Amino acid sequence: MTAGEHIPQEDLALYAMRSLSADESAAIRAHLDSCAECRAAVAEYSGDLALVALSVEQQAPPDGARERLLNRIAADANVPESNIVPIDAKPVNRVYSSIQWSLVAALVIFAFALMLKIGDMRIELRKQAALINQQAAQSARAQQVLDLLTSKSAQRVLLTAAQALPQPSGRAVYLASSGSLYFQCNNLGPLPAGKTYELWVIPANGAAPLPAGLFQPDATGGASVILPPLPKGVPAKAFGVTMEQAEGSATPTAPILLAGAVSGE
Amino acid sequence: MNENLPNPPQAPERTDNSALDLPLESGPAPAKDEALLERVAANDQSAMAEFFDRYGGLVYSIALRVLKDSGQAEDVMQEIFFQVWKKPESFAASRGSLGAWLAVVTRNRAVDVLRRRKPDDSVDDVVLLSNTNLASEVERSSMMEKVRQILEGLPVEQQKSVEMAFFDGLTHAEIAAKTGDPLGTVKTRIRTALISVRKAIQA
Repeated sequence: MTAGEHIPQEDLALYAMRSLSADESAAIRAHLDSCAECRAAVAEYSGDLALVALSVEQQAPPDGARERLLNRIAADANVPESNIVPIDAKPVNRVYSSIQWSLVAALVIFAFALMLKIGDMRIELRKQAALINQQAAQSARAQQVLDLLTSKSAQRVLLTAAQALPQPSGRAVYLASSGSLYFQCNNLGPLPAGKTYELWVIPANGAAPLPAGLFQPDATGGASVILPPLPKGVPAKAFGVTMEQAEGSATPTAPILLAGAVSGE
Repeated sequence: MNENLPNPPQAPERTDNSALDLPLESGPAPAKDEALLERVAANDQSAMAEFFDRYGGLVYSIALRVLKDSGQAEDVMQEIFFQVWKKPESFAASRGSLGAWLAVVTRNRAVDVLRRRKPDDSVDDVVLLSNTNLASEVERSSMMEKVRQILEGLPVEQQKSVEMAFFDGLTHAEIAAKTGDPLGTVKTRIRTALISVRKAIQA
């Protein structure tokens, strides 16, 4: 098409309105490059379209739109021009972009809060686990004591003062198979400074006495030794109590203050 | 930076049958637009605030009319105003009505978004001939009311054709397919409607 063959007015109107196909638009655009008359007609139709655009119902821009623009402009004042995305680039959807950034920010905050929460929960979990372990240990110890005291095979021995004076006395319950020992005594005299009472298991096989725990009586002379660390499988023939240095002793020191033999031994 | 906005409204040769010597062309407002753009060119951010106050409602309303989505409409508005900020010199040298040019550019950009197509500068070279002075609120309101009355006075078929082409962004072929009318009829209706608006404003 040449400048001498003008574009029909209807097509120029549609061109101005961008209501033609891409091919049709391209053909007209090529013609407009060399046809001032048709360019003028398009400009006139564009002016008409501006009028049509004015027929829209007036709406106030969204709240904050002015601030968003001014903020963007203010930010742009310090941004190199090369960083500006041109309007003919892929259209930017501010709402979606804003939603995306807001979503990212929310996720970051949520992740951070979640990490804090997880940290708190881990600390709490460790506390609970420690408590459970402690309670389990206490329960196991209590159960062991109960088993010892109720065991028919436990050796029950009444310990009395080796001397004639009967006041101090003790009672030992011993289960050789598990090395469990429960000892309780009464009427023990107060200890001198730097001294302690020590309980002994006298093995039935004649081996050296086994230290079975240090203890100090209370104000009433009462004391107990519960489940001291003892080897398993050591039958006892007797139990004894001696007074030792505060740190205890590997061998009993005479005199034996309380002693009791296993029945039948 | 790439060319951002379509070419500013370079005034083509005026033809004798130009019907755009609008009644509102007189007055100080066009000079105010130019002065405002000069301040924008000097990186006066307060000038952009005034520019937004002047044309923000118009640009947003047109974009919203096309897109029917406030978020997308603001996207279009923000981009157009931002590019005004970036390239105000394009407008300073222009003649005609900046408000009218913004109206058409806004509509075109909104249709681009609506049709999910990349803006085509070569198509978007909006050159319009219009002396419509939209710089003042009173003038804008007066012109809007007048145009509405004119459009409402058009035959229904013309109204619908213009509506579908301009605000819905449909091509004439799509309008013909939708209405069942011949292509030529659709074309004629649209052109006739535009000429009618032009003459009514001129009268």
